[in-house]
Amino acid sequence: MIGKCGLGLAGGAHGRPGAEGTVPPTGGPGPQGRSGSRLRILAIGRNPKRTLLRAALLGVLCVVVFKWVLLPVRVEGISMEPTYADHSFNFVNRVSYLAHEPRRGDVVGIRLTPAGGWSAPHVMYLKRIIGLPGEAVSFVDGRVLLNGQPFNEPYEKGPCDWNAEAVTLGPGEYFVVGDNRSMPKEQHTFGKAERSRIVGKALL
Amino acid sequence: MKWPRLLLLAVVAALAAWGWWALYPSPERQIRGQLADAARAASFAAGDGYLAKLAGAGRLAEFFSTNADIQIGDPGRPEHRLAGREEIQQAALAARAPGQTLSVTFPDITVIVNADQQSAVADLTLQARFTGEHETDLIVQEMKFTLRKINGQWLIVKVETVRTLS
Repeated sequence: MIGKCGLGLAGGAHGRPGAEGTVPPTGGPGPQGRSGSRLRILAIGRNPKRTLLRAALLGVLCVVVFKWVLLPVRVEGISMEPTYADHSFNFVNRVSYLAHEPRRGDVVGIRLTPAGGWSAPHVMYLKRIIGLPGEAVSFVDGRVLLNGQPFNEPYEKGPCDWNAEAVTLGPGEYFVVGDNRSMPKEQHTFGKAERSRIVGKALL
Repeated sequence: MKWPRLLLLAVVAALAAWGWWALYPSPERQIRGQLADAARAASFAAGDGYLAKLAGAGRLAEFFSTNADIQIGDPGRPEHRLAGREEIQQAALAARAPGQTLSVTFPDITVIVNADQQSAVADLTLQARFTGEHETDLIVQEMKFTLRKINGQWLIVKVETVRTLS
């Protein structure tokens, strides 16, 4: 059946060339007809039914992957600079935390509205996890202290003068903050995030 | 012979289901629609004339109850509080300054309708893109809207900002 269909297409390309006036009257497919046929094969394949099926499968796969697994995101704002520039493009991997819990240093997508099933949020915060459940996180003269001990952050490049009281994280709570600590603390959204709000890990 | 009849029956059933769905929306769908309309009413373009602005502000106020309470507290910005439809209308009109554009959307909405079917809470993400003559600002904020069914219409009675990262 599939072979028939393929032959039928080839026949259509070669069998009725005169009507279109694209083939020289000397008989047989000319160079133009052959190139047209090749183009057609290149575009829709030798077997259009199979090509259609492949295209449909690819479409379904794209929808599943980019709606439920890898969420394409555009970064807006400067709070994650220099790691992620304003208007840069990334993906949030939703399955990254199926096998293990979020780790320190991970850049994660955080949903603003409470989780509603497996539906993907349209808007997320993109922040880095610096504090894990049970830890106390504070800022002293721009340095992060975890349980009172200084925490080295290689990704933080600019000067920082932040001071913030220690926040003790409960079970299932993570402390998240952007990498750009040069901006005023008041304009930077950071703090405790519940595990249920963490959508996934930034891929790039 | 039976197939066309079955197909016709399926089409009629689908149309009936769609008609029921369209004519009798669930409270949740009504609220979602109401909030989407409110977001559209809150938006304005730079080229709007005074009458259009006045009408837009009035249209926005109609989504609120007469004694509605709005508390907006964003980190880094002073807290705003508006009480009543009149104040909301005035604030909406004042915000519509010449040469400025505001685009408001609620991209993620979670609606919980209470058991009495007369009140509901909507947790949503507010996305507001403000464009002035020389600057563009994007505000993203989690918000909680409390709605009540008054005279058959879902009206907003309370608006609060929520600190997502506390």
